[in-house]
Amino acid sequence: MSEPDEERELEALLELSRRGRAKLERLHEVLTSPGHYGTGASPSTVVYRENKLRLLRLVDEHGQPRSGPPVLFVPAPVSRYFIVDLLPGRSFAGHVAAAGFDVFVIDFGTPTTEDRFADLSYYVDGLVRRSVRVVSQLTGQAAINVVGYCLGGTLSLLYAALYPETVARLVLLTTMVDGDVEGGIGWVAHKMGLAGESYDHPRLVPAAEVKSWFEMLAPGSNSLVGRVTDLWDRLDDPAARLRDVRTMATWVDDVAPAPGRLLAELYQKFGPGRNGLITGVVQIGDRMVELAAVQMPVLSVSAEKDLIAPPEGVDAITRVVPHAEVLRLPGGHVGIVAGRTAAALWQRTVEFLATSRDGTHGL
Amino acid sequence: MDGKAAKDSTTLVERWIEDQREWQKTAMAYLDSMVKNDEFLTHLGNAMRGSLLAGKAYPTAGAATAAPAQDVPADDRLDRVLFALHQMQGQLSDLRMTLDEMRTGAKGSPPRMPATRSAVRKRAPAAKARKTKRKTTGKARR
Repeated sequence: MSEPDEERELEALLELSRRGRAKLERLHEVLTSPGHYGTGASPSTVVYRENKLRLLRLVDEHGQPRSGPPVLFVPAPVSRYFIVDLLPGRSFAGHVAAAGFDVFVIDFGTPTTEDRFADLSYYVDGLVRRSVRVVSQLTGQAAINVVGYCLGGTLSLLYAALYPETVARLVLLTTMVDGDVEGGIGWVAHKMGLAGESYDHPRLVPAAEVKSWFEMLAPGSNSLVGRVTDLWDRLDDPAARLRDVRTMATWVDDVAPAPGRLLAELYQKFGPGRNGLITGVVQIGDRMVELAAVQMPVLSVSAEKDLIAPPEGVDAITRVVPHAEVLRLPGGHVGIVAGRTAAALWQRTVEFLATSRDGTHGL
Repeated sequence: MDGKAAKDSTTLVERWIEDQREWQKTAMAYLDSMVKNDEFLTHLGNAMRGSLLAGKAYPTAGAATAAPAQDVPADDRLDRVLFALHQMQGQLSDLRMTLDEMRTGAKGSPPRMPATRSAVRKRAPAAKARKTKRKTTGKARR
């Protein structure tokens, strides 16, 4: 090898070293800057507590709630609530509040061992119903708007069928209705042994196990090498962008443990091969829920690249709620709610919520 | 080696030395953070798993094992009692809200309904109206 060749190789090595060091310096900067510790971005007050649940009411810069129509966000109980209120400027709930609505968000909290006995009835006819009731009392509105995300959408749909007179408008985001559509978290959980969860003798399903189901959906995300390589590649991004990534990672990687009884019931009633929602009649606790009772305006949103709730399974809402407006947006399960393209969903939701039954603008 | 090449070579060596110094600084910054910031090790551990999760350790099977309730406890009576208390807490909230509504005369959302089919409940006003109509018609006939 000639001297110029050696020099070029050394220069290349030096450049490689410099770039590697720059990545590590950026990582250090991100890891030492304040992270997202699972709290929402918008100022709020806690207006109701029950068990681990907190009901948050978003307030303006003066600490006052908005005066517009009430909107209740119902996130999934197995993940953290702050996906709907991720960052300043990237908050679904914040966007709806900025449009003038009086926004409430349910934080189901982290279940502990005794909560493994919580079933669908406890969530739908207990926590969600009482949250709606609190919102009604605080705002003086007998019927409020409800926005459910993922499993929170399932809870919202069942609630709306049980108490239709209390729901003015219903928005369902990436909410599976047809459990027989292959793919998605239900199928993965089915293959990973969810059928073995006991309703009568439930356990608190550890967060790591719940997370492993989600990881099975994203090729490479369950591989340590794949994840580290992905992070290493991302470290070329500016620190500000990495802080955004960190916020999202704090949501994606921080799943909550799940009540085994709830999972067992969801599987037995709505899972692959059972598919109770598509029949339109479901028993929840001692109540029969008929989805035909859902007569209020409904907007159901699916995501084209949703690996958790396949869009075909979400759009099937029209088979049980024929008047539901179906909207399919480009993006994934999380991206349409909190990603860079989420503004499309936020805007459509505000338009839908702001339209009164006679088609006029309600705000 | 001519004079120009010697100069370039010296420059390259100097840059290598400078790069090594920078690596030392980076390493020291990491060590410093490990000593001063309790959470840094957790965050660094997460990063070594490919995650930027902040505030807590990445959920792993190991962490799950350490969790108190991975499996069904042999005696679940205490947990059943605790959960029943949580349910009672909810019922008390319902009661309080009902009392508030009675006091203020407000018509809030309804308390939990008895076990009936929601659709039946929904149809109830119409059925009541039909009944009233029949009654009125009957009176008129009489």
